[in-house]
Amino acid sequence: MADKCLVEPNLEFIKEVVGLGGDTLKKCFQCATCSVVCPIAPDNKPFPRKEMIAASWGLKDKLVGSMDIWLCHNCGDCTTMCPRGAKPGDVLGAIRSYAISEYAVPKFIGKAVNDPKKLPVLLGLPVVIFLVLGFITGLLDFTPGGDKIVHSNFFSSWLVDMIFVPLAAWAVVVFGIGLKRFVNDMHENAVLEGKTDKKKLEIGGLIRGLFSVIPTILKHSKFSECDENKERATAHLMVFYSFIGLFIVTNIFFVVLYVFQIHGPYSQMNPVKWLANVSGIALIIGSALMIKNRMGKTDQVTSYKDWYLLILVLGLGATGMLTEMTRLAGIAGLSYALYFIHLMFVFHLFIFLPFSKLAHLVYRTVAMAYGEYGNR
Amino acid sequence: MTEDKAAPVSGSILVVGGGISGLTTCLEAAEVGYEVFLVEKNPYLGGRVAQLNQYFPKLCPPSCGLEINFRRIKDNRKIRVFTLGEVEKVDGTLGNYDVTIKLSPRYVNENCTCCGDCEAACETEISSDFNFGMNKIKGAYLPFEMAFPARYVISSQIIGTDDAERCKEACKYDAVDLDMEAKTINLKVGAIVWATGWEPYDAAKIDNLGFGKYQNIITNMMVERLASPNGPTKGQILRPSDSKQPESIAFVQCAGSRDENHLTYCSYICCMASLKHVTYIRERYPDAKIYIFYIDIRTPGYRYEKFYKKIKEDKNVFFIKGKVAEVNENPDSKNITVVAENAVTGEKIKQEVEMVVLATGMQPTTKDVKLPADLKYNEEGFIINDFEKGGMFAAGCANKPADVVSSNQNATGMALKAIQTLVRR
Repeated sequence: MADKCLVEPNLEFIKEVVGLGGDTLKKCFQCATCSVVCPIAPDNKPFPRKEMIAASWGLKDKLVGSMDIWLCHNCGDCTTMCPRGAKPGDVLGAIRSYAISEYAVPKFIGKAVNDPKKLPVLLGLPVVIFLVLGFITGLLDFTPGGDKIVHSNFFSSWLVDMIFVPLAAWAVVVFGIGLKRFVNDMHENAVLEGKTDKKKLEIGGLIRGLFSVIPTILKHSKFSECDENKERATAHLMVFYSFIGLFIVTNIFFVVLYVFQIHGPYSQMNPVKWLANVSGIALIIGSALMIKNRMGKTDQVTSYKDWYLLILVLGLGATGMLTEMTRLAGIAGLSYALYFIHLMFVFHLFIFLPFSKLAHLVYRTVAMAYGEYGNR
Repeated sequence: MTEDKAAPVSGSILVVGGGISGLTTCLEAAEVGYEVFLVEKNPYLGGRVAQLNQYFPKLCPPSCGLEINFRRIKDNRKIRVFTLGEVEKVDGTLGNYDVTIKLSPRYVNENCTCCGDCEAACETEISSDFNFGMNKIKGAYLPFEMAFPARYVISSQIIGTDDAERCKEACKYDAVDLDMEAKTINLKVGAIVWATGWEPYDAAKIDNLGFGKYQNIITNMMVERLASPNGPTKGQILRPSDSKQPESIAFVQCAGSRDENHLTYCSYICCMASLKHVTYIRERYPDAKIYIFYIDIRTPGYRYEKFYKKIKEDKNVFFIKGKVAEVNENPDSKNITVVAENAVTGEKIKQEVEMVVLATGMQPTTKDVKLPADLKYNEEGFIINDFEKGGMFAAGCANKPADVVSSNQNATGMALKAIQTLVRR
């Protein structure tokens, strides 16, 4: 043990965590009840007691690169049992949100996503891009006409892909850069705190770890281990699977369009369409349940970052399904307008994926994989 | 002391509660010449202190303090004691209170010599509240050897049964009076001191600490009774499941205290109480392993710090910084495993022990049921002293959690406050 330890508090970090929903963190008096009641914390260096003091001391580097903040599934057992109302669950959520903005470059985008004042700009962005690109290329037709409603007559598939394929690539690149740093920091931190038996980080091992945690993630078994989490697990599972479903659907139709040259709209009898519809409905129900659970939990902080994501997900599902329904009902104008809004939501989903709370799907997965590989 | 030097007397003082604080207020006021009424709801005086084995930090038995006080009360003609009494109503204002007190029947009159014949004759056994239900006593009983007033009590639970008649038959002194009835008395007093004290926080409310679920988890006040020579085990500290002498014991500090879900405040005495219990255990079991799980050890002041330091020298006492948040029982051995995180090393500890003591805190008796008087309480139910208004004061643990020393100091101060109320009129 070192004789001397100089703590250099990062006050800015403390302030930001407080602003991101961790305003209770200074109430903690380190009784360690949280680490014991946490159903998923390991016996060796359990969380979240140590995270609470590190946050309180402004030890940013110790926290943003910690796998433990991601192993937490925010069930709130610790918050319920906390004798001081320090809400460790919410503090960890705030730290995770900070960590996401820390790893996603350029950082100003992350800041903007977490700042409610920037929302009008963020909302305007896709509108401007759609209109400008649409007019330049002539792929946006405000008078599509015809007796059948075909959305690509209004907003050409070419235009969609001209925007969204680069955006998907953007998300991948931003995640890639962030992950490289995150994985290295995580390993360094784990070695320092004695949370792993691996000295040198091997990517092959990490990937094997990833494969072994996939069943856990698919079943949400860690998620359901938390006592307070049963209802949340259901809602989360619905949203999770609907995203997987929609991802599959999008890829299939992408291939159908470009390889087989078959344009939509596709028949309702098509099994891929069934998957799309089921996923869309699951997305709406799942996200509505999430909002309901949030509203019902008065002891949990729901900050802007949470609302942004919840409304994004619900909006995505709702506009998607309504676009389809109005098309089938033959209400042309409304259907085209909804489609435009739907694309705005999709734009937000793609461009801000690595910056918003939704990035947890990548960071948590990688942290869990590392935990598996490093024998946490 | 001569009569003419006595302070000017106008009116009298009512002290509610005959624990250590109430006794002190009562005696301090009476010994400077004021008339004092002391009302106690139990059939005996002494309150919580009477249940202790030893005081900290001097480790002398409470009999020393109580015995002297009882003697002083007996010798003082200015004091009138009402046991089994409860204040029902307080009317009037500062200087002129009209108090209604209900006195429950003891069924034993002043002829009682404490011979114990009624106890021998009684067949019914009732649970002993004095010993926290750890043993049974007869339906006719003396609260404890040193009880004051030194008089038996016939429990209302046996009234109307053959047992009650048997007790009456057995008494050679005509002391058992089964026709005794509850009565109401009215007192006119100038000032009132509420020394209504505390009760141990109900440990069963702390879900994750297993009290009431696992036999070998007991509370700190139960340890006092077990260690007391007049307790249910005659001073042996034995674990409840099999009356075995425990070889390992864990103390769970802040069991309910400093917890928003239970008592929001620090109960002040529990750290010193547990350290004192270590001395009880060490005296009886020289090799027992003792684990103390704490958030911080609070031993304020020079003498308490010294006490703590001394306990720390014991090689078989282990202090672990981390609150116990989970307990499990081994169904075969009935041993308990306590789980905590050692906040110094960052390791989760699962310590198996033969007995667990919960250091439960103190809750004011006025937490749930308020007194029938115009008093203010804080959120936790302690009485707030309104010195501006005056007339009525809270002393000892009715006002805040405190040890015996501070309670006595506070009680003396409140005696003075009460006297000032009378003199200023």
